[in-house]
Amino acid sequence: MNQGLQNLETSSFYIMLMAYTLSMLFYWAWIGTKKDLMGRFATYLTIVGLVANTAAIILRMIIAGRPPLSNAYEFLLTFVWGITSVYLFVEFRYKLKALGAFVMPISFMILMFIIMSMGAEERIAQSIPPALKSKWITFHVVTAMFSYGAFAISFGLGIMYLLKLSRETNGKTAKSQAQGIISRFPDLETIDELSYKVIGFAFPLLTLCIITGAIWANYAWGTYWSWDPKETWSLITWIIYAAYLHARLMYGWKGKRAAWMTIFGFAAVLFTFFGVNYFLPGLHSYAVSQNILIV
Amino acid sequence: MKEQHEGIVEDIWRFFSSMKLGLILLGLVALVAGIGTVFPQVNLDPQGAKAVSELWQTLGFTNIYGSTLFRLLMGLLCINLIVCSIQRFQGIYHQTFALKPPENITSVPNKIQAKLKGEREPLKNSVQDLLQRNGFKVTSQEIDKDWSFIAIKRRLGNWGSLISHISFVVLVIGAILGTTMGFKGFMMPSAGTTVPLSSLNLSKGTVKQDFDVHIYSAEDRFLENGDRDNWYTDMAIIENGQEVLRQTISVNHPLTYQGVTFYQASFANGARLTVDLKDQKIPVVLQDHGGNYFQAPGTDLYLIAAAIKSDPKEPAMLYQVYRGTGVDPVQKGQINLGQTIDVQGEYKLTLEGNAGFTGLQVKEDPGVTVIWLGCALLLLGLILSFYWRTVVVSGVFKSGQDSNGELTIGARAGKVTGGLQQEFDRLIQGIQSKREGAL
Ligand code: HEM
Repeated sequence: MNQGLQNLETSSFYIMLMAYTLSMLFYWAWIGTKKDLMGRFATYLTIVGLVANTAAIILRMIIAGRPPLSNAYEFLLTFVWGITSVYLFVEFRYKLKALGAFVMPISFMILMFIIMSMGAEERIAQSIPPALKSKWITFHVVTAMFSYGAFAISFGLGIMYLLKLSRETNGKTAKSQAQGIISRFPDLETIDELSYKVIGFAFPLLTLCIITGAIWANYAWGTYWSWDPKETWSLITWIIYAAYLHARLMYGWKGKRAAWMTIFGFAAVLFTFFGVNYFLPGLHSYAVSQNILIV
Repeated sequence: MKEQHEGIVEDIWRFFSSMKLGLILLGLVALVAGIGTVFPQVNLDPQGAKAVSELWQTLGFTNIYGSTLFRLLMGLLCINLIVCSIQRFQGIYHQTFALKPPENITSVPNKIQAKLKGEREPLKNSVQDLLQRNGFKVTSQEIDKDWSFIAIKRRLGNWGSLISHISFVVLVIGAILGTTMGFKGFMMPSAGTTVPLSSLNLSKGTVKQDFDVHIYSAEDRFLENGDRDNWYTDMAIIENGQEVLRQTISVNHPLTYQGVTFYQASFANGARLTVDLKDQKIPVVLQDHGGNYFQAPGTDLYLIAAAIKSDPKEPAMLYQVYRGTGVDPVQKGQINLGQTIDVQGEYKLTLEGNAGFTGLQVKEDPGVTVIWLGCALLLLGLILSFYWRTVVVSGVFKSGQDSNGELTIGARAGKVTGGLQQEFDRLIQGIQSKREGAL
């Protein structure tokens, strides 16, 4: 039975990969051609991808008998799930299809990262050490999933904002094809406000993510905070977004500066995950497993 | 002279009440914290930290989070937050609990605004009624024939940012309590032994509590599929020779007694032996891989367990015996369950069975409760700030010649205005349909 489930999980993964890849291409085609059909395909494919993504996660949970969080592969799978689900919500709620052209590439690149850098043995369900057996980890990962997903959306919005802004400032002379594409974007203020809203949703969740991580660490080791690089970088990410909120509120940092902050913040999110695992040296014994978790 | 003095106090106050300072401090905290992730830190990686060149070590780069600079930054941030909060308290209080209806039309929010014509009393009643049914608290006032009102909903939202700022100070206080009070230590008792708490191998603080810990059993359990389930320690607290508490702990499931918490941290296999020395029988428990040794009284023989096979059905131990400070064992071999061997003609050794050694991290941290309080406040503040946005609606009714007149009504919300327009439009619609219904 296990082998059957295993195969099913693998198939789900590849269906998801194909659907997300195609949906990215269709979003591009849609903003390029303005053909409604393209846009509809793009959305359908994203939904198919999300269903397959969900299936892959659930199957993994059944196979492993625990939440999907024992290795980088599982976390990336949930990360992509968070990005896509928050994105779909925003697309439906705010009728903002153009955003897909900027968000889906993030999911695509994460999946490419999995394919290129992780061998089969890194992707299979592995047994987890006793320290990881805690219900707090489930909360920890769920909050990480939604807040990181939302930060990815604000990043996409930031890119859109800056593209539109640069076209609007120097685009009057060059009436190019791109001009037409950009004209499909909502106006600058709408993008900017939405981006703030998304961060306002994500920031309390990131806080909750860090807190649940601390509670778990306290149960497991009796230390709620040990300044391990993963923890520290999640704090830095948190500070960047806190600074964004303050600068916006007090100094009216909207528009261009705010857009840059969302990009900067998401870079910190990615570094917290990838950078700490792959670039920073010298971690202590349990960090190898803990690493993956304090994401 | 006095004026100058006050000037300085005021300057300091102004300096600390600025959010610019807050942002700079936050940025510096992030920067210093980031630098700390590039250098191995003493608390996490002592060997790594020692390997870093001495210059960096002296400058404190390998203990950056405990450095004076970092503490100073945190301290300044706290002062900043406290000053800011005191400064803002009154304003927030007035904006929440002491709202005054507008005196004239210019004080009605004009970004989101509407004008309604109608008779004074019916309009007033329908506005008040509808606002109240929508959860607003309404205050109104009458000036001659005019009347004005102000209504507020989700009042607590205004307090969100203040609460989150104070929570940060609470967190820092919790951390200070944790570093200045309490203790932290480690013990590795074997199953079947009773050890006093004072025998802890302390890495911080001192132990004030006076009780013993008895280990009934220590087990390394596996699941059917061969994966490790968890480490379990069946332990009891003994006070004045009386057992007062008995519980099984495992990783992620600690036990707390009198503020002291026992965390299952590690596990090692051990072997239970009896030493028969000149008719004196001594029970001995040895830890795997030479974790401890036994020196038979009156001899210079040291016995260790080089390896232990922990299979409960047929335990076995590879032993080594050293004499004095000798580097090479004078005797070594395997001993099986129930087997008795002779050690250098000095004593006899029997393997009785297995015994686990349980690695217990023992901590007292009176700051933890404060930390959780701070976390709860932080979350509460953020939720109020972002998910419980205060809405204020106010309006002024100006009478014309007869009882008819015009009501100017407007709304504002803290921070984001998106979505407020729709809420406002619904209110206005509600008021209008109510009046039509009344006609
Ligand atoms: C230490 C971490 C800090 C956190 C977590 C924090 C959190 C927040 C939050 C969540 C808001 C509401 C923002 C929004 O609604 O967009 C806020 C607003 C504000 N913060 Fe902070 N803050 C921090 C530090 C500071 C510092 C150091 C200062 C200044 C000394 C400061 C001054 C303010 C002010 C004046 C507001 C505006 C409040 C309002 O009008 O609603 N904050 N802060």
